[in-house]
Amino acid sequence: MATILAIDDSASIRQIVSFTLRSAGHEVMEAVDGKDGLQKAQRAQYDIVLTDQNMPEMDGITLIRNLRKMPNYAATPILVLTTESSTEMKMAGRTAGATGWLVKPFDPQRLLTVMDTVLDR
Amino acid sequence: MNKSTGSAESSDGGMDLSQFHGVFFDEAAENLGSMEELLLALDTDAPANDDLHAIFRCAHSIKGGAATFGFADLTELTHVMETLLDRLRRHELVLIPAMVDALLESKDMLTTMLGRHAGSGEDSPDASAMAANLRRLCESTDQGNAAAVGPASIAQADPVAASATATDLSGRLPGQYILSFAQGVDETVINDALKLFDEVIGLGRIHRSADETRRFGVETETPASEIADLLGFHLKADEFSIESNGAPVELSQAVDVPAGRTAAALAPTTGPVSNVIAEVLDDGVIARPVAPDGSWGLFAGAAGAPEKHNLPTIDESRSDDRAEAVTAERPAADSTAPAAGSKAGAASAANRGDATLRVSVDKVDQLINLVGELVITQAMLAQTGRDLDPMVHQQMVGTLADLERNTRLLQESVMAIRMIPMSVVFNRFPRMLRDLAKKLDKEVEMVTVGDATELDKGMIEKITDPLTHLVRNAVDHAIEMPEQRIAAGKKPVGTITLSAQHRGGSIVIEVRDDGRGLSRKKILAKAVERGVPTSDNMTDEDVWALIFEPGFSTAEVVTEVSGRGVGMDVVRKNIQALNGSVTLSSAEGYGTCVSVRLPLTLAIMDGMSIGIGTDQYILPLDSVIESINLNPSQIKRVTESNRVLEIRGEYIPILPLQDVVQVEREPGKEGNTTVIVFEAEGKRVALMVDELIGQHQIVVKNLERNYRKVPGISGATIMGDGRVALILDVAYLVRRARH
Repeated sequence: MATILAIDDSASIRQIVSFTLRSAGHEVMEAVDGKDGLQKAQRAQYDIVLTDQNMPEMDGITLIRNLRKMPNYAATPILVLTTESSTEMKMAGRTAGATGWLVKPFDPQRLLTVMDTVLDR
Repeated sequence: MNKSTGSAESSDGGMDLSQFHGVFFDEAAENLGSMEELLLALDTDAPANDDLHAIFRCAHSIKGGAATFGFADLTELTHVMETLLDRLRRHELVLIPAMVDALLESKDMLTTMLGRHAGSGEDSPDASAMAANLRRLCESTDQGNAAAVGPASIAQADPVAASATATDLSGRLPGQYILSFAQGVDETVINDALKLFDEVIGLGRIHRSADETRRFGVETETPASEIADLLGFHLKADEFSIESNGAPVELSQAVDVPAGRTAAALAPTTGPVSNVIAEVLDDGVIARPVAPDGSWGLFAGAAGAPEKHNLPTIDESRSDDRAEAVTAERPAADSTAPAAGSKAGAASAANRGDATLRVSVDKVDQLINLVGELVITQAMLAQTGRDLDPMVHQQMVGTLADLERNTRLLQESVMAIRMIPMSVVFNRFPRMLRDLAKKLDKEVEMVTVGDATELDKGMIEKITDPLTHLVRNAVDHAIEMPEQRIAAGKKPVGTITLSAQHRGGSIVIEVRDDGRGLSRKKILAKAVERGVPTSDNMTDEDVWALIFEPGFSTAEVVTEVSGRGVGMDVVRKNIQALNGSVTLSSAEGYGTCVSVRLPLTLAIMDGMSIGIGTDQYILPLDSVIESINLNPSQIKRVTESNRVLEIRGEYIPILPLQDVVQVEREPGKEGNTTVIVFEAEGKRVALMVDELIGQHQIVVKNLERNYRKVPGISGATIMGDGRVALILDVAYLVRRARH
């Protein structure tokens, strides 16, 4: 089971994500925006990072770029949550260093599938 | 979609998301509140970018949550709002007041919808008209630079498009591909599609021909399949086609050279793009949707991606070159977008202040209760400690002193948790004023002073209704019509000032207007009419106070807004129930000021403890005027059972406390030697007791919650000796005295 850092400025989304992931046995740390997420990532090592794009303080793309600069996160799976499946957003995520994307609104069941795939199960 | 049942159609895949509804409702309510505040504060002539971004984010946030929980009505309406706001923040549209009105109305509808989902049981509102209005505003053509319909205007309609397009006058379209749009496709749709080539860096350059409006050359290094993929989000597959310049490209084949080894396994071109699973492995750009609808996927070769891929073998070295070439172009574009994003974020973040914690009110109340108990226990300990010889028990006495100080500090900190700034109350008013003024054809603006002044949460909840009434009164009765104001030499816009400040141990809240003021003559006349006792040498203050009498209103017309003059006496009652007081002052022609004084909290009170028999009772210190040792000559008998006290020419009814409460007296003790004069509801009473014990600050305990409601008693407390003292309800006593 993995330790997952989940970043989203919406409390209700964070709660659903945490609940879903924890019910599958993962451990979840929540962060409220990019800056908070970055600080938490610096203090502990996470197996997967899941981040929203539109957030105050620091947006998802910037966060991903910053994470990739850290050697201990160079190979960590990072998934960006996009609200639309626009190619533009995917390109920006890719360039910043994201491993993949998840479209919002997402199905909690699907979230677990993605986690499993990424953890190479 | 069945909306009438009120249940959510959720994409929960079997997981019950309803436990998270509460958080979403709170969050959405906060977002709606921010949205309204920002909309009201917007300068319609020059809206600030940060504000537009912030309003957009509010709508966007609500939409995200609503969609996740399956609240389709919310999702649809917020989506249209978001579209309008997005175009506004990108400066594709100019802000007009009609848009602000429409957004505010939509915000109201969202509030209703939210309430419905939260179980208010109201009917589901029909948002279709509102959505249509918003859509209309999105496409409004009175913008000056919007795209007009007609082929000739495409070239000048969109200045932005000019950067990525070029008009070739030679008649032959340059570029690797020809992009054609079907006949039925609208010009605006074509324009939107072409705009993609500006927005997506590296997608390509559009070449126009002077006489062609549906065929464009595309100069690009991006494979046609990917362009088709992208366009597929905006257009149906049969509405456009992309062909190699020279010969049509079969999209089912591996597509061509400059783009490299594309392994495009597309379904037959006639199918809708959304059904296609495209494995476009090129430029390291985008990759593999794993779900057919593209709802998630992994970037091929990305850091952290799992090792297994069903990928055809590629020439690794060349693919890296391509990846670099493409990514080299991107940083320039990317760096501007997120920078703008985080700058807007930073700007609003500056206003956000420190980190906060969401705590339920119940937990805070419990904490306050426990601290209150601690204070009482400490007081008892202090009492016991008083009897100790300080020389013998030096350590104990010293420690008790420390305990007292720490307990006091703890209590202050805990009480501070429940303190909320007055801005919470004041913020309701701009919207209310705007709507009210509009209805009455008046012009009113609001000024607030001391927004940051804090008040206990419980008091804030109770003060909101009375304040609302006062503000409505001011707009309705006090502020004159613009013409009248001008005639009186005032500016046509009336001002209502709301202020809050700490004074002594209380908070003073004032509602001040620069309206017509109160007319002494009219009020006295009305009082006479109603049989309320008056005299010609009443001070102005006393005359204004007459307004608090029940049924009193000098409004000529009973308006729908403020009702029939039942207001002011109810307002005063409500305020007095909070141990507060309200006074009026006014100058005819200039304006009126209503001043409300409240204790900072209901949980602690300054009390005067009085003794009767073997018991102790408490009177709120605020209500006490004076206390007198009785001199029998001052007592006058009115009737057999009623006596009055004469003080300085004034006659005050005497109420023996023993008539109100059961008293056990020690034999031989006559009692009733002291009189406390207090005032409530504007009337004075002299309470006859045995003795005045002292003044203390006491922790108020709710009697009803712990025992039951007792008429005449407003609460209880535990004194230092551990005994319970009941707090007398002064309003009740006044009523008893005057019967």
